[in-house]
Amino acid sequence: MRAFLISRRLALLGWLALLLPGCIDPYMPDVISGPSSYLVVEGFINAKGVTNITLTRTQAVAAKAAVPAETRAAVYIEQEGGANRYLLREGAVRGTYQSDLLALTAGARYRLYLKTLAGAEYASEFVPAKITPPIDTLLWEAAGSGLTVYVNSHDDTNTSQYYRWEYDETWEYTSAYAPSLEYAGGRIRPITIPYPSVCWRSARTTSIDISKTTGLSRDVVYKFPVRKLSPSSDRLQRRYSILVQQSALTRTEYEYWELLKKNTESIGTLFDPQPSQLTGNVRCLTNPSELALGYVGVHSREVKRLFVDRNDLPRTWITTTGYEGCFPPDTAKIGFLDLYFGRGLLLPISEAYDERGRFAGYLASTPDCIDCRKRGTAIKPSFWP
Amino acid sequence: MKHAYLLLIGVILLLSGRPVYGQQPAEKLVSGTFTRAPFEQFASQIEAQAPVRFFFDPTVVDSLLITLQVQNQPVRAVVEQALQNTGFHFVADEENRVFVFTGDMPQTDLSSLFFQPAPASSAATARPDDPTLEQSPDRPREVSASEYKVHEIGAAGSSKGKATLAGHVRQQKTGEPVIGAAVYIESPNIGTSTDQFGSYSLTLPVGRYDLKVRGVGIKNTKRQVVVRADGKLEIEVEEDIIPLREVVIEAEKDRNVSGMQMGLEKLDIKTMRQVPTAFGETDILRVVLTLPGVKSVGEGSTGLNVRGGATDQNLILFNDAIIYNPSHLFGFFSAFNPDILQGVELYKSAIPAKYGGRLSSVLDITTREGNKKKFAGSGGIGPLTSRLTLEGPILKDRSAFFISGRSSYSDWILHRLSSPGLKQSSAMFYDLTAHASHEVNEKNTVYATGYMSSDRFRLAGDTAYHYLNQNASVKWRHNVNNQLYGVLTGTYSHYEYDVTNSRNEVNASQLKYSIDQPALRADFSYFPSAKHTIDAGVSTQFYNISPGSLRPVGGASLVKPDLLDRERALESAIYASDKIDISPRLSVSVGLRYSFYQALGPREVYRYAPGESRTEGSITDTVRYQRGKVLASYHGPEYRASARYSLTENSSVKVSYNRTRQYIHQLSNTASVSPVDIWKLSDSHIRPQVGDQTSIGYYRNFKSNTIEGSVEAYYKSSRDFVDYKSGASLLLNHHIETDVINALGQSYGVEVMVKKLTGKLNGWVSYTYSRSLVRVNAATTSDMINGGSYYPSNFDKPHDVTVVGNYRFSRRFSTSTNFTYSTGRPITLPLAKYYVGNSMRVLYSDRNAYRVPDYLRLDVGVNIEGNHKIKKLAHSSWTVGVYNLTGRRNPYSIYFKSENGQIKGYKLSIFGQPIPSITYNFKF
Repeated sequence: MRAFLISRRLALLGWLALLLPGCIDPYMPDVISGPSSYLVVEGFINAKGVTNITLTRTQAVAAKAAVPAETRAAVYIEQEGGANRYLLREGAVRGTYQSDLLALTAGARYRLYLKTLAGAEYASEFVPAKITPPIDTLLWEAAGSGLTVYVNSHDDTNTSQYYRWEYDETWEYTSAYAPSLEYAGGRIRPITIPYPSVCWRSARTTSIDISKTTGLSRDVVYKFPVRKLSPSSDRLQRRYSILVQQSALTRTEYEYWELLKKNTESIGTLFDPQPSQLTGNVRCLTNPSELALGYVGVHSREVKRLFVDRNDLPRTWITTTGYEGCFPPDTAKIGFLDLYFGRGLLLPISEAYDERGRFAGYLASTPDCIDCRKRGTAIKPSFWP
Repeated sequence: MKHAYLLLIGVILLLSGRPVYGQQPAEKLVSGTFTRAPFEQFASQIEAQAPVRFFFDPTVVDSLLITLQVQNQPVRAVVEQALQNTGFHFVADEENRVFVFTGDMPQTDLSSLFFQPAPASSAATARPDDPTLEQSPDRPREVSASEYKVHEIGAAGSSKGKATLAGHVRQQKTGEPVIGAAVYIESPNIGTSTDQFGSYSLTLPVGRYDLKVRGVGIKNTKRQVVVRADGKLEIEVEEDIIPLREVVIEAEKDRNVSGMQMGLEKLDIKTMRQVPTAFGETDILRVVLTLPGVKSVGEGSTGLNVRGGATDQNLILFNDAIIYNPSHLFGFFSAFNPDILQGVELYKSAIPAKYGGRLSSVLDITTREGNKKKFAGSGGIGPLTSRLTLEGPILKDRSAFFISGRSSYSDWILHRLSSPGLKQSSAMFYDLTAHASHEVNEKNTVYATGYMSSDRFRLAGDTAYHYLNQNASVKWRHNVNNQLYGVLTGTYSHYEYDVTNSRNEVNASQLKYSIDQPALRADFSYFPSAKHTIDAGVSTQFYNISPGSLRPVGGASLVKPDLLDRERALESAIYASDKIDISPRLSVSVGLRYSFYQALGPREVYRYAPGESRTEGSITDTVRYQRGKVLASYHGPEYRASARYSLTENSSVKVSYNRTRQYIHQLSNTASVSPVDIWKLSDSHIRPQVGDQTSIGYYRNFKSNTIEGSVEAYYKSSRDFVDYKSGASLLLNHHIETDVINALGQSYGVEVMVKKLTGKLNGWVSYTYSRSLVRVNAATTSDMINGGSYYPSNFDKPHDVTVVGNYRFSRRFSTSTNFTYSTGRPITLPLAKYYVGNSMRVLYSDRNAYRVPDYLRLDVGVNIEGNHKIKKLAHSSWTVGVYNLTGRRNPYSIYFKSENGQIKGYKLSIFGQPIPSITYNFKF
């Protein structure tokens, strides 16, 4: 009887499949699977400080490899009219280039010029150097929806108007376990060098945060929400710090970031909005038809740091730790210790006892759950109090 | 002319007993030379040489000129030669009387006909092999009879040289009006076609004519009339009961060449029934898509793109009321029950001044009127839907009604599935139409239509969609006199949708949109003389739109209610047009429509910093308008002009120009029309769209009008139609103007079409080359698309070939085929990925720089009719079809998904396999 029902269901399913045999096939046109590799320029010319530029190349959308870096290029900052030229040297990280500490003339026009190892020359458009007004205040508020960091700024000359913010955030955390034992030379012994109890981890903005004040009668940024964290965020477990960087943009650079933001908001649904091509202000001089991506602006950057301590946040907030998967610990039976600990896949934590209090082996966990350096650094950042 | 007796031929024949045909001509030999000699002169010369007497009606022969050279030939041969290829015939009797007349030869057995009841003096006959008359043994006698009798119009003596003949063409069986039938005389060539009420009006010189009537779905017929003064002639015609006899697109055989209209496609329901469809259900929009110049983005979307226009630029009228959503189930079914439709007219260019409000086309869908003589019904049973129509008289011959319903029953399949997701899905739709008409008296008729269509579907148990169209129209037609009539029409259109999300009780919410539109119009038609046809009228409509609201559903929902301000506006227009027949070869039609538009408060309007891209950040001020206050007003002329010049009897050239204005815009930033698209009114930020179209065409008929050929070329430009900024969000947007931009469009193309209308093998072949381009060159660079240059629109498909063919094996068995090929539609592709701004970004190609694979589809269908006995319980037929016979996976949508950090492309085909269907239709 049951078999009969199943076969009838199958028949109905078959009929529906016949009625609406829609199907989805992979689709990769040639232009996507084998595109040319274009130069990507990231960074800005710092009008008051060190300029950092990263040169990479585009990849096929399906590529899995790391982003290819463009190394050994000759990179210069040039002032319009050829008055000044500053060299950028490639740093330790491949594809990154660094200038000396520079102080450019506000209002004068500069560009980035570069020649790749292959001989192709590129340049950004000349852009007037803009001096960013300082961040007036950086403040945070805790509400039901979580923690929000706001930025206030103003420009009495009413010339900044277009703003972009980036941030570096750092937070303090502890690992799941602090072992009292270690495994060395085929046996368990009291730990000689304890694992660090506290670590710090950092992250950088991934979103594009921009705002403009052209609709206002004065050039004032009031409480722009630069970062939002949920009440359960693991970043709030001990102490959290955010370094907000403010840049004043030209209108064209603002429009570039605005469009880039919209373009990459969503992809891959049936009712997708229309994306559009966006390249920036870098052009290939030797082959004008060759695309180059990225916008090199010229401005200074203002920074301000803020700390948020766990004790100042509402007590009802229950933060996560990021180590939720580490509980409960494993138990390593005696006799199999080398299997457990010999290759360093697990580390001993402490002795384990069964319900009746008899020694049963050792509690153990993965290095990731024990050594907080696996997720950050144990070296206390210089700015940390 | 001494022998020019004004005698009716029949009277003579009756008095003279049995006539003798040509066998016994006057044997006397005659000679003569005639060069474009009037027939009277010819007759008198022959009479002078031989003992014969000619009898004819001088008003009939006044156009007959004889060119002939004969030497000593018998009179019979001479007359035969003289009348060869003139359309005139003659009969001679024993007493050497020669009767000359036009049109039809008297029948052998005349006596039976002469004693048919006839109102006035009656006479003349038709010969049985006349191709204009469909003779069948079961032909109702009264129709045949009225073909043979002579109708006298007006009292003799009151003649002013010209007279107007008016009346209606109706179905003999049901009393319903016949729309779009051609009513004409051949010499001189004067004709008209019946309007939506089946009425016609012709101004003719006083005289005797064969008034011919041809039309879609009716048997060709004629009336012999003697027009003496203004008068009426009601014409009843027979329905062509063999539905698959031929594909008829246009009513009148030579309309292609001699008609004034260009860019007009007429489809009757019988043609539409033959085109095979996916689910066996006749779908008018699907058939309209096979016509040249009409495209859609993909299957499963009913959005029509006419000559490169956007989907919102089509005025879709159902018995004069505007329809906003003409489809069911995401566009897989049309929202109109085929059983009640009379036909569809699609104006692609030369849009009459009467119509306005949309840029690209007018799709005028009309229903039948219902059987005025007896109760009847029809219906059909298909795999997913069934339909039933009942109709009948309320007062016999004066008023009729029909009521019709259609419903889907796909739910039972879904509910039996094992997959829990599909089990909770449901898809259900229905539509209802009711219509009544009543002839109050000879001068007044009233019509009323009610229409409703509803869709409900729920996908995998969480999101429920609901769509609703409700329309009503009331029409009063008043005939002032034969030359003037007026129609007063009131309509009400309502469209709404809601989307309910109930997966998570905390997020449960309902999104709603609705539009209400009452409208009133008065149209007048005036026929002052044979040379002029004047149409004029006024119209006004009020829009009341609720552009969107989001409300929580259930007590646990935490969704914050979000309500957009209502939009209101008033659109009015006044128009007049005149069709002038300057000479038999040249006709022109000129018209002007002037439209006025006012967006009304209460509403809040944002002001933006000038010269800036409009974003939330550039809002400088908010202005509150009180109820009824005008917040923006627009107006402008819309020119309509067309002309036809006949090159030869079977070829002509037509040109037309028209301007159109549109005040309501459909917002959809997806390639195909999506279920949550909204309609937005023009306001202080969104200007009305304006379009201009110029077209020229060459028309030629071959093989005595059985094959029609046409070539039409057009150029269109439009401005201020709505395009979207990259990444625009349109739903529940309180400042929609920040996401849309006014765009420029241009489109051009050539449409070539060859139709064969008759015979066992019939159908049409069309090829279209067309481009449709858009340009967004905004003042601010961030709003520009593709650097401000022209780019292909979403529906730019340059090459398009359609073949629709039918082959009739017998009267009961026929097959049909539909073949479609078109270039793939444009698409924006992600070309590469790169790392900027601390995140992976995607580099897109220029908008619409690439194309999806070409589209190709072949459908076949077989129609099997029951027997054709007139009297039986029910007529039935079976339709068996296979949609997408080759099973080609035509892409409906191409999309990209980020999966495990990789972007992958997918192609979704809706119909990836052949889809068979079978439908049973009946009629009683």
